[in-house]
Amino acid sequence: MSLVSGPGVAGNTSSLPNEIQLAISAHVSYIQSLDTRRDELEYWLTEHLRMNGLYWGLTSLHLLGRPDALPRHETIAFVLSCQKDSGGFGAASGHDAHLLSTVSAVQILVMVDAIDELDSKGKGSEGGKGGVELVGNYIAALQDRMTGTFRGDEFGEEDTRFIYAGFNALSLLHLLHLVDVPLAVLFIESCANFDGGYGVAPGAESHSGQIFTCLAALTIAGRIDMVNKDKLGRWLSERQVEAGGLNGRPEKLEDVCYSWWVAASLTMIGKLHWIDGDKLAKFILSCQDTENGGIADRAGDMVDVFHTVFGLAGLSLLGWEGLEPVDPVYCMPKKITERVLGTRV
Amino acid sequence: MASHNVPRPAIIEVKTEQSRLREQNQIDEYRALVDLIDVKITEHQYTLQVLELTSKLLSKNPEYYTVWNARRRLLTCGLFPKLSASSSPLTASQSTSQIGTTTTSSADVSSSITNSSTESKEILDNFDSQTHRKNGTTLELIKSDLGFIFPLMIQYPKCYWIWNYRLWLLKEGNARLETHIARDLWMHELALVGKMLVRDSRNFHGWGYRRNVVAELESPKLNGFSMAEAEFEYTTKMIKANLSNFSAWHRRSKLIPKLLNERKADDATRHDFLNSEFELITEAIYTDAYPYAQSVWFYYQFLMSTLIEPTGSSAINPNCTLQDRIVYLSKQLISLKDMLDGAEDCKWIYDALLEYTLVLCRMREREATPEERQDCLLWLSELRKLDPLRNGRWGDFRLAGSG
Repeated sequence: MSLVSGPGVAGNTSSLPNEIQLAISAHVSYIQSLDTRRDELEYWLTEHLRMNGLYWGLTSLHLLGRPDALPRHETIAFVLSCQKDSGGFGAASGHDAHLLSTVSAVQILVMVDAIDELDSKGKGSEGGKGGVELVGNYIAALQDRMTGTFRGDEFGEEDTRFIYAGFNALSLLHLLHLVDVPLAVLFIESCANFDGGYGVAPGAESHSGQIFTCLAALTIAGRIDMVNKDKLGRWLSERQVEAGGLNGRPEKLEDVCYSWWVAASLTMIGKLHWIDGDKLAKFILSCQDTENGGIADRAGDMVDVFHTVFGLAGLSLLGWEGLEPVDPVYCMPKKITERVLGTRV
Repeated sequence: MASHNVPRPAIIEVKTEQSRLREQNQIDEYRALVDLIDVKITEHQYTLQVLELTSKLLSKNPEYYTVWNARRRLLTCGLFPKLSASSSPLTASQSTSQIGTTTTSSADVSSSITNSSTESKEILDNFDSQTHRKNGTTLELIKSDLGFIFPLMIQYPKCYWIWNYRLWLLKEGNARLETHIARDLWMHELALVGKMLVRDSRNFHGWGYRRNVVAELESPKLNGFSMAEAEFEYTTKMIKANLSNFSAWHRRSKLIPKLLNERKADDATRHDFLNSEFELITEAIYTDAYPYAQSVWFYYQFLMSTLIEPTGSSAINPNCTLQDRIVYLSKQLISLKDMLDGAEDCKWIYDALLEYTLVLCRMREREATPEERQDCLLWLSELRKLDPLRNGRWGDFRLAGSG
């Protein structure tokens, strides 16, 4: 439902006042405006991200304390309109099912407390139930039972992101038992590198985004003990650059989205204090468009809802006043994951 | 995935009626194309004309994964000659060369061939003519598709779907073409990804693609053999071009254990190898332009970790005795202290000194001496001064015995 990028522009650091504030109401209006831009070509060119975009936008609104700022009924109707007969969800109506849009669909339905509606109105539901199980079966069938890893869809692309996506959605649906968790954990272990990080596949370079997905999957599996926390904490803390922002790999540029991938990873291993939170917060705030809302990858660039949610989630991890606390594993409000999963240690 | 590195325009232009109309036309045209492809695919019109339509759309929007999927279906359900057990070219080439490769479709055919030698000759003759024809069509389609994708990869080097589709296409080639033809395609990819990595030497997708291409070229199904030596050389070349290429250092760390095993290196050779890697990294650290860059320091940590934890998946010299390792580490500490001369503001040296001094105490199974403790406290205070961003980390540092 929401547009993914543009049109706003992030601020220029030099013109910002010393005490920068989070532009809460501008961000809320920005997200609300995203689905009204059908007269822009960009809206149509980003249709393949619509389901993810809705998850990013809705999560942003929850963190901003405005969970009802998008119409609930339309949200549910949109999500269900993207479901295929297999049980999986596509990015938009008419798009093929993929694990990445399926996990977003589940997260959205959990956030608007509509899993019951999925069960009674989704594909595969009979006599008012069965919808949830079909989604679970779709995801479980994507696991390779020989290696433990997950494919993104029927064409077989494999990536540690997909293990996380599978675990995330299945655990929210209380269906994690449908897959071989220990085998997937072994696969993640085989992706570990000497620097304590994880890559997309065995042999691949450590990457902060991939590290986040591996740590979150291990946390859901109850196996965060497998991580070399000191080594990884050191590598992750070195992602912070002088400007305060974080990068994804050594000697790359900082980018607001790593405020989430790196800071959430540090949180999961208990080492968020190994970076300078104040400087990170200032960096994120400097990337806002304070007038029209939205956050960009870096100050002066175009804003989009992807960087908006990960900037806000990063600020939430840092305990920014006025934001709802975020769950570092699910990137959803803690209140909601606690409602669904109970209080986790 | 989202807009990265897109600068704001100097002036935000207010749309004129004319530009609004132009954009609306573009939208209408784009959506009409999407709808047309949807109709054709739903009707199973798997033709070259529809393939062309998907090319047109994907050139406008390579992120449209559903259209990449449509393209896969166009090829496998329509345009590629049918892959059936009795006419698979791969099966034909297998039955003539008997390399020991297996596919799911080959078993029944192979057994039918071995039933009678005259019968098998007839079948093979039949295969040869079919193989030629089918290789021809399949190869043309795959080559033309690879050619279509290439400019998109250059234009959108970070688009996951393009890289995935290309790998998928080449893997289809493995199943549909004769082995040496499929192998030639992969060899071409190795050259191509080499060029991509010259353009952007840190491209995450490029390095991943290279790993995949090499794995295919090494696989028995393509009559492959290990390329560890050549790939190791490649990392040397990439590192020499840019010492800050952590992707290349990383790849090197993964290749070394394999390389040494393949060389059947004895303990002395392994020891020499480790020496030469330490020489390489020390030289890199000393090179003027990179005294404080982190890539080289992470590789230094890798080499040190093979001494501290000598066994395990990244072992270089697993039989090295504890005593030898202690001697080696002590020498490195001396070398690190030398590095400080003229580089007193390099936090990485203090970081390394602090860590490895304490590691050495643990390996010697003793507490730090008063002098060592004094040194460590000094280095820690330098770290706090030089690297305040990570003060929380320095604050967590506990010297043994100091609580």
